Amino acid sequence: MINKIKATKSEKIIFGFLISLAIIFFGSYFLIKDKCLFVKNHDPQNISFDNPQNIAILNVPCGNVIIELYPDISPNAVKRFITLVSSKAYDDVAFHRVIEGALVQAGDLEFGKKNNLNYGKIGTGKSGLGTVNSEVDAPFDFDKGSVGLARKQKYNTEDSQFFILLKNEPLYETEFTPIGKVIYGLKALEKIKYLNKSQYVLRPDFINSLRMLIN
Amino acid sequence: MNIIRSFLLLFLLTTQVQANTIYNLIKIPNLAIYETKTQNKLRYLYAKQPFTIGVNNNINCYNSNKKNLDDKYKIVKKNLDRYNHKFLKKINLKYIVLCEDLSISKINTAGIPDHIMKTLILDINFNQNYFERVIHHEVFHVINDSYKNLFDEKVWSDFNDKEFKYAKCSTCTDKLGLDTYTNTMGFFTEYSRSTASEDMAEVFSHLMVGSNLENNDPILEKKIQFIIRNLQKIDKNFIL
Repeated sequence: MINKIKATKSEKIIFGFLISLAIIFFGSYFLIKDKCLFVKNHDPQNISFDNPQNIAILNVPCGNVIIELYPDISPNAVKRFITLVSSKAYDDVAFHRVIEGALVQAGDLEFGKKNNLNYGKIGTGKSGLGTVNSEVDAPFDFDKGSVGLARKQKYNTEDSQFFILLKNEPLYETEFTPIGKVIYGLKALEKIKYLNKSQYVLRPDFINSLRMLIN
Repeated sequence: MNIIRSFLLLFLLTTQVQANTIYNLIKIPNLAIYETKTQNKLRYLYAKQPFTIGVNNNINCYNSNKKNLDDKYKIVKKNLDRYNHKFLKKINLKYIVLCEDLSISKINTAGIPDHIMKTLILDINFNQNYFERVIHHEVFHVINDSYKNLFDEKVWSDFNDKEFKYAKCSTCTDKLGLDTYTNTMGFFTEYSRSTASEDMAEVFSHLMVGSNLENNDPILEKKIQFIIRNLQKIDKNFIL
């Protein structure tokens, strides 16, 4: 005959504690793994824009980043950007240079494509459309969310690469060509993969798509 | 081979992620912003700690106390405000670095121009008697470096007496005096006699501060006209 042994009160407490611990452990694992958990995704269809023709939607792993372009400030640079967006050239292009809390940079169409990633040359690629002259004379506050065209050491070498600032950079005024500002979704950019010891990212995050709101 | 090249490039591209914006832009460490909101869009930076730069780490400069920095900034800005944005853009000058006791290979110097990086490092403790003139002297080196073809040293040297020869470099001579001659004889200062480019810079800086222009001798007059003529080729509206 087997006697049924009742659990003592303290055993029940320990059991309950272990169950809670397991729930917290597995729950945290999934929460931490999902880096986009607390990032709000902005649906451009639910937002009204003053200049919808100047709105670009950058879709990244954590959702949409909505950018207003400023053709009045940098007409040639914005024109180049829209040309590339319209041809879907930025789809599957890496955020190859990311500095935590400072900036994300993407747009190497030659060496930064997901199916043709070249770590040895990334950041040096061209669009095939030639360079654009720098447009740096107009006053522009390079504050958090500003979007600009990247360039080489010399002016007038802008092409397809662009950066988005994650902090204010007043020294960028007259240094880089501004093309717009992020008006929604900056949080999604703060989740872009970065490395602690290098600005250049191994196994980087990619642009899912980049489209104009109105084609 | 590609893998090796990739690793090599990645190694070369690996930089300190926290490297600040100023270093990324002008490759001088330990600087901070002093003032960026200026009419002519010059950006004033200062050394918050000593820094060492140069191919052989041979350029050194030190941070200054706030009072000295504030005092000298006013003087530097007052003088550099005379150059408008359009002109500064043409000569490729944008960043002014203020620091103390600037030296190259342990030789004290008033300034180090670098038109490629659009930067002029100024020693705010350099020769207080001629500090303002020296600022313009250093600006001229930026102008000269940006327009070497205009400021031809051979043409310039021919203005001098035939028997006169410049030294091979500005530090290859002990002709370092900055006092303006009363009897010019083709040169504003003793330092003018060091090299052609220093001579041009001395003429330019004297023109900018308007000193001793009444007693021009014929050689000096030719030099002055040469500087004015070529400045106007860079910017016809440039005002001395």
